Amino acid sequence: MEESNSCFFNLEVLNSLTEDSLHEIIDSYNGFCKASQSLLAGSGDLSVGPDVVSHVHALCKHRLRSLVQDHFLRLLEETFERNGASRFWRHFDPYARVAGLSKNDDLDIDEDEIQSVLYNALEEVTLEKQYQEKCLLMVVHALQSYKDQMSEDKDDFEGERNYLTSKYQWIVSSVLMATLPRHFPVILHWYFKRKLEELSTIMDGEFCDDASKGKDAMDLDEKVKICNKVGEMDVDECYNDHRFSENSRLVKNIGKIVLDLRNLGFTSMAEDAYASAIFLLLKAKVYDVAGDDFRSSVLQSIKGWIQAVPLQFLHALLVYLGDFVSYESTSSGLKSPLAPQPSSCCPGIDTPSEGLVRWKLRLEYFAYETLQDLRIAKLFEIIVDYPESSPAIEDLKLCLEYTGQHSKLVESFISALRYRLLTAGASTNDILHQYVSTIKALRTIDPAGVFLEAVGEPIRDYLRGRRDTIKCIVTMLTDGSSGNSSSSGNPGDSLLEELNRDEEIQENAGVDDDFNTDDRQAWINASRWQPDPVEADPLKGSRNQRKVDILGMIVGIIGSKDQLVHEYRTMLAEKLLNKSDYDIDSEIRTLELLKIHFGESSLQKCEIMLNDLIGSKRTNSNIKATINQPSQTSIEVGDDGTSMDVISATIISSNFWPLIQDEPLKLPEPIDQLLSDYAKRFNEIKTPRKLQWKKSLGTIKLELQFQDREMQFTVAPVHASIIMKFQDQPSWTSKNLAAAIGIPADALSRRINFWISKGIIAESHGEDSSDHVYTIVENMVETSKNGGNTGGTQELLGGDEEEERSVASVENQLRKEMTVYEKFILGMLTNFGSMALDRIHNTLKARMVFKLVPPEKEVLHLYKSFYLVYEISLEIRLKSYVKNLW
Amino acid sequence: MFFLDIGVSLPGYVLCLLKEWHAVASWTWDAQDETCGICRMAFDGCCPDCKLPGDDCPLIWGVCNHAFHLHCILKWVNSQTSQAHCPMCRREWQFKG
Ligand SMILES: [Zn+2]
Ligand SMILES: [Zn+2]
Ligand SMILES: [Zn+2]
Repeated sequence: MEESNSCFFNLEVLNSLTEDSLHEIIDSYNGFCKASQSLLAGSGDLSVGPDVVSHVHALCKHRLRSLVQDHFLRLLEETFERNGASRFWRHFDPYARVAGLSKNDDLDIDEDEIQSVLYNALEEVTLEKQYQEKCLLMVVHALQSYKDQMSEDKDDFEGERNYLTSKYQWIVSSVLMATLPRHFPVILHWYFKRKLEELSTIMDGEFCDDASKGKDAMDLDEKVKICNKVGEMDVDECYNDHRFSENSRLVKNIGKIVLDLRNLGFTSMAEDAYASAIFLLLKAKVYDVAGDDFRSSVLQSIKGWIQAVPLQFLHALLVYLGDFVSYESTSSGLKSPLAPQPSSCCPGIDTPSEGLVRWKLRLEYFAYETLQDLRIAKLFEIIVDYPESSPAIEDLKLCLEYTGQHSKLVESFISALRYRLLTAGASTNDILHQYVSTIKALRTIDPAGVFLEAVGEPIRDYLRGRRDTIKCIVTMLTDGSSGNSSSSGNPGDSLLEELNRDEEIQENAGVDDDFNTDDRQAWINASRWQPDPVEADPLKGSRNQRKVDILGMIVGIIGSKDQLVHEYRTMLAEKLLNKSDYDIDSEIRTLELLKIHFGESSLQKCEIMLNDLIGSKRTNSNIKATINQPSQTSIEVGDDGTSMDVISATIISSNFWPLIQDEPLKLPEPIDQLLSDYAKRFNEIKTPRKLQWKKSLGTIKLELQFQDREMQFTVAPVHASIIMKFQDQPSWTSKNLAAAIGIPADALSRRINFWISKGIIAESHGEDSSDHVYTIVENMVETSKNGGNTGGTQELLGGDEEEERSVASVENQLRKEMTVYEKFILGMLTNFGSMALDRIHNTLKARMVFKLVPPEKEVLHLYKSFYLVYEISLEIRLKSYVKNLW
Repeated sequence: MFFLDIGVSLPGYVLCLLKEWHAVASWTWDAQDETCGICRMAFDGCCPDCKLPGDDCPLIWGVCNHAFHLHCILKWVNSQTSQAHCPMCRREWQFKG
């Protein structure tokens, strides 16, 4: 534009030109061209200087000042293209192959090599540029001195010079940009990345040294505090540190490169390159520090590192660049908002710290976001690990407060749940526990529980489809003995107990308003949030209603508290009916807690059930104390000494209990007698109330005495009735036995499996194929016999897999020993002709290896599994010998 | 038998020593009817004013042999201006000694 303008202007004045002046112009112009040509071409030869000046003056005289400027600038451009740009790029030609690589790829270029190439190339092009600027200044001076001569208006020298130099700067940048090869930014990025890694290794070491300097005994918290302190220090203050001087060489090298690049107009490219290198480094650091350990907080140490490493570097760099503020302000029009801004009074202090603050914010945001993404991706594991992982949850909470990306968490976690938890393979208990852990963990992040709703929804939906959900929930809520229910409380606590304790703690502390109401409102609007599906607890004040209601969220799975209470009552009945000591302290406690949460009226029946137990205890001791002695002596039975002393009873108000299944059963005669005496006494004391025995219910503790051992059992009445029949008679057919204890034959065969599985009774086929023969098992060797029987054993093996496993290692050892037994037994049988089994056993015990054998329970299993294998060899042979005997 | 000769006792002999027999029973009122003729609640439950059955809410018999919750018949008797009658048989109500 300007060129055409000046041409147009020249055309107008052509008419006024004389021949002479025309010649003078042509001569001067040619002379100027020639002189400037040789000025620029020359390697620092300034001898043509005076020539140039006189030609400029001559041209100016003819008002051709703009011609001088335009021509010289065009000449500069051509020369820079030739001597500057193309030579500069040629340095990087050998690295053209890296153009396609991404930022994360490492280049296999020698570090020193690329540094020196970059350094030399920049040095060379900078020298060339400086020389050209010198020449340009010469022309500027010539133009100026003409003005001075002509004593025209004191024109602004500065203005003239600034116009031309910035024009020149623009020419340099556009020439370079126009010819920029694609691999150059990659090389730059790589260079900064490597330099920063080098720097961070040095600074990292110092960061750690500093944090633990002379404070070896200090615990981790203290260290974090120190990092904290570093983080809060005034950004400028902390860089006056001595540490930095050690790295100044490295920083200066980098700073020099950045400065040279800026000088060429690559300001933003240079900044992009080191910024992305810094972010890469920070990302790697976050990954490294965060890791898969959720049991400690990492946020503070990441912040400390940002302060100690990248910000230190940036500060040094910005200070270094800030020294050249005045230069920069003239040389570059392409400034990034983050570049230090020239400041007249105190460059290098005020301005870098402003830029630095911006850097700090950028880096911290990036760190928060990176850590947040990492933790969100692992949230499932973190929650499995809760509450041990609560430091990671705290970190995540802070990150989310900073980034506000809660929705990321919701989406990611829901898909993790669907993929990992809500599958057929997961037990209902596991799902429930993860659900509770999720609630506990996320309420830290989300005290209003708003996006917890969204996260909990799929779990609740899934659990509703499982049949055992209610039972598992009730167990989890009320039974502390199941172990893993409460991870944060005492091991024996039920969830209800834990919730109650938490509530008391919170109430005492009186703090629950630590979330922002606006945030909550925003969340409510943003998600499909609905009010708590469970009836609001009347006992909870309005202050508590905003809190995450764990119990409510659990009951929400079932749908109504009535169902939960009903299930609890069934389970409570079962538990109470199996008690023989009237000890219901924990049940009373649980009921009190349930009443707090579900209201007294819905638990009325449960309360009566517990009351029955209390009443039973009182009535029982009353009856036992007052029952008339003659009756007692009269019923004392034979040699087993059964007396009223062994009897106790739970007396229930059956209207308030769930329907209880009582099966017919003929109790052993003495017991039956004792129970009717007991009932009679009850009737005497409580007239007109009477007792009705539920004979199949109860708990019996008995000891079986064999010739060589005693065994303790706690069994149901039917089991006791069965085994007591074997006192009279060591062998029973199933028909007779069923008739004797008054139960159907199929019920008997099911019940008697208990004793078979304990190795107390053996089953064999009788003469009638439909009838089985049950025989009491006297000793160990014979015990193993029933292992060979297919009937009851299979069920047993199926049911006791765990025990099977626990002894598997000893099995092989015993198998070896059994071959010895076998030989020994066969030898005895051969020598003695025939022998009673217990004789064989006793001899074995005396002579052999029984002392090596593990306790009886294991022995039984071992023998069973052993005999499954050895059945044919030993068992059959033994049987045939025994048959002969009998 | 042969094995007795070598001094071995009967195989398969077991002795059951009972340590404890904890039984379960339900109590019931020894009455002809199942429910109270006044409140229509089960005798084995309790009257509408009571929470605990049994000793806390006993039954009472009239000379006519009709039984009611004590609390129910007391309320009934007190509500009558003149001599109360059994709500079931209309005979004059008198507590059975
Ligand atoms: Zn009544
Ligand atoms: Zn009552
Ligand atoms: Zn009557």
